[in-house]
Amino acid sequence: MNKFKVTFLPDNKIAEVAKDTTILSAALSCGVYIKSDCGGDGVCGRCKVIVKKGKVLSQPSGLINAEDRKRNAHLACITTIHSDLEIELPSESRLELALGTEGIYSESENVKSENKISSGKFFKYSPLSTKLYLELPLPSLNDTTSDLDRIFRSIRKTQDFSVAQTGLSNIRQLGELLRDSDWKVTVTLGKINDTLEVILVESGDTSNKNFGICFDIGTTTISCQLVSLSSKKILGTKAAYNKQASFGSDVITRIIYSRQEEGMEKLHSAVTETMNQMIKELTIEHKVDLNDITCVVCTGNTTMIHLLLRVDPTYIKREPYVSTANFLPVLRAYEGGIVINPRGLLFCVPGVSSYVGGDTTSGVLSSGLYKEEGLSLLIDIGTNGEICLGNKDFLAACAASAGPAFEGSGVTCGMRASTGAIQKVKINAKNFSVTYSTVGDAQPCGICGSGYIDLIASMLETGVIDKSGRIKLENHKRVRDSEAGKEFVLVFKEDSGNSKDIVINEADIENLKRAKAAIYSAVSVLVKHMNFEFNEVKKIFIAGGFGTSLNVDNAIKIGLLPDLEREKIVFIGNSALSGARQMLLSIEASKKADEIARKITYFELSVDSGYMDEYMAALFFPHTDLNRFSSAKQ
Amino acid sequence: MALQLMTEKWTGEISVVTIGATSKNGGTRSYSIKIGGEKSLPCLFKEGTLPNKPQVAFEIFDVTPNDWPNEVIKLYGKSVNDPLEWAQMCIQDFKAQSLCIRLLGAHPDFGNKSAEEEVQLIKKLLKEIGVPLIILGSGDDAKDNLLLPAISEAAKGERCLIGSAVQDNYKTISAGVLADGHSIIAESPIDVNIAKQLNILISDMGLPLERIVMNPTIGALGYGLEYAYSIMERARLAALSGDKTVACPFICFVGQEAWRAKESKVEALPEQGIIWEALTATALIQAGADLLIMRHPKAVEKVSRYIENLMTNDKILSPK
Repeated sequence: MNKFKVTFLPDNKIAEVAKDTTILSAALSCGVYIKSDCGGDGVCGRCKVIVKKGKVLSQPSGLINAEDRKRNAHLACITTIHSDLEIELPSESRLELALGTEGIYSESENVKSENKISSGKFFKYSPLSTKLYLELPLPSLNDTTSDLDRIFRSIRKTQDFSVAQTGLSNIRQLGELLRDSDWKVTVTLGKINDTLEVILVESGDTSNKNFGICFDIGTTTISCQLVSLSSKKILGTKAAYNKQASFGSDVITRIIYSRQEEGMEKLHSAVTETMNQMIKELTIEHKVDLNDITCVVCTGNTTMIHLLLRVDPTYIKREPYVSTANFLPVLRAYEGGIVINPRGLLFCVPGVSSYVGGDTTSGVLSSGLYKEEGLSLLIDIGTNGEICLGNKDFLAACAASAGPAFEGSGVTCGMRASTGAIQKVKINAKNFSVTYSTVGDAQPCGICGSGYIDLIASMLETGVIDKSGRIKLENHKRVRDSEAGKEFVLVFKEDSGNSKDIVINEADIENLKRAKAAIYSAVSVLVKHMNFEFNEVKKIFIAGGFGTSLNVDNAIKIGLLPDLEREKIVFIGNSALSGARQMLLSIEASKKADEIARKITYFELSVDSGYMDEYMAALFFPHTDLNRFSSAKQ
Repeated sequence: MALQLMTEKWTGEISVVTIGATSKNGGTRSYSIKIGGEKSLPCLFKEGTLPNKPQVAFEIFDVTPNDWPNEVIKLYGKSVNDPLEWAQMCIQDFKAQSLCIRLLGAHPDFGNKSAEEEVQLIKKLLKEIGVPLIILGSGDDAKDNLLLPAISEAAKGERCLIGSAVQDNYKTISAGVLADGHSIIAESPIDVNIAKQLNILISDMGLPLERIVMNPTIGALGYGLEYAYSIMERARLAALSGDKTVACPFICFVGQEAWRAKESKVEALPEQGIIWEALTATALIQAGADLLIMRHPKAVEKVSRYIENLMTNDKILSPK
């Protein structure tokens, strides 16, 4: 069969593919990532590429305009290859997958959360996998216990649990290993429920080289931390966009994609590729041997966990919305495609339902919501916003699809909270000049979630936009027309870090408005459904990876959060990741997570008749019902 | 024991909008009309006062209407070709209390008359006739942004009702209306939230809520009347419960919708269209309509009689 060579510019990556392959699949096959919110249905128009040379066939599409035709632009997902090609990928179609470390925690928060653990305030230190240095008594004619029993005997002296399992591969090499290492070995023990497993036997004392990794697998962002299990220290933190974004920006599109031929494999390898790359970079940066990473804890929404484990997520999408599994047994990391020590363990944080996953469980765990005396709320602002209401007596949760806007995706100049992201903004009311601060004090390259919250609040305050989100300011050098309505320029290209104007347009504002409306209305419906009033809520935990800090006043001004006393609201950063880390370091935390997941009552918003009404009324800044935001009134 | 009727206690009330300024108030109208002011749901006279009865205004165009059914046109005869003549006929022959002129001729697709031409027309109308005036733009956003401020300025001091402001295009119109002492029509697409949002946006421009009349957008009998009814009811309930941002009177474009229904255009049944328009109007009065814009004089006559009976015979409705 004929193969054609497709060259992608400016990367200069080459794919060799069969005739009739779409440009989108060709790009994926050679590691070029193109935006595709609809997952290749030809309806989102994000995957425009320019054909420089060669012959293609495109299905007709209304998303290609006259100007596109002039520059020979096509939608990559509905254009097939019919000769050798040279294709240029314009920057707006490129899916940025760069890794970054900043933005999950600020320095200070990092230290704070560490203290919490080491002081034992939350859970007793007892990591899911421990390394134990043993100096075994030598066998003699008086002591002819087998090598394996000799190890078990020594383990029992120090551990409360009994050993239930050892891999055959360990036993096979045991005889020689023990004798070569002069009966001084380190065993790695994994805790599975109430038993121990001998994961690994190594010669010598390596007990201080025991590491674990925790992951929060978000629909848009994946973040992870490398933790020393012996010293309890966080060695490094990373965040990256989930490569699955090439197959659709929300869970539903991805579930649909997983039904396509090889769809599941592609989704699975996209997520594991992202994760393994993050692990690899962390190990290089911190000089850790991959083999010394013995344990991984993954949290994430139910669909993400299904896709990680290659479990069919189809029925999550169909009424009555049932997942295949919420509680997963302890697995080998390699079974999930995660590259650490080949015998290393994989723990998945238990989920609650199809749309409230392990990330909520670990958020409730790390925020301490489950032991609050007063009524409290946890709001996790992500592509799938999760909301949990409760206290030490009860827990109820719901999920709202907010879209990735607050994670800096799907908005013109959005970016994750990494170096160069504008995270704080203020507009001068008189001359509309803009002051801002960026993550790492670098030159600005884009805007992250917390920056957008500040920006919209400031635009409202200064009258740049009206309460419906339309740009009202006229005849000013910062305001001009764009394809997506009017746009406001924050930073002119002379001052930006990527020689591009940093702007926000009316379509972005609309996007952010919908995202905030989805979150606010979910919170409001859940509180109402449980027969409470907002003012009965004593504490609100805000979680999410949208910035290093959150200006609560501004979040209320735009109507993202309910108008409550500011001191009730605490920003806790990525609570899902913190929860996963706590589990990594304590079996008690992991047991508590099981208990929490079983305790949470799931509330399905889509069957609540009031949700749509609430959502429509929330599509305004701050809200159509201004009385709910009396403190935000001028 | 005598039957005790349940009565609701309302905390809110609808604002009163006055259309037309007499010489006493700096205008040249022979009288003015008041709409709104309700402190209870329509027809529930015992729960609160309903001080102003619903008003009917005749709709006329600045150009010969080409999509009006013959049944409507024929009573007006040749006068539909001349707005002034048409206006005078409505007042003299059909006792119109107020007029609603739509400046369709300024629309780029229907004649593209200049703002200046339309200003002259409005000036002439104001000079020759004395009834309060409701003035509508061409319906083209870009054109109306030029046209309506000019019209508003030309009619300064006459306290007209000018429209329509929509969510995408309310700024220029609001500014003009505010400066020249008129009131505004805020049009929303059968949606309480948008109606409310638009009112907030307009009042943010400095135009007080008391100078806004809401056009909730309606459907004629058989074409979504019940939907419009329930939206109006929801808005009214919210307003009477104290939500000031929706406490504005309603204007309903009954003629325009009723005469679009295919049932109104049956040649063999000339009366049917009149009944269609009248029925749509009376149903909307029960939903809370304050100002009805109508087309057929006979339908107007029926509706006026209905309003008279409804508002003066309240004893029938509440025995005591």
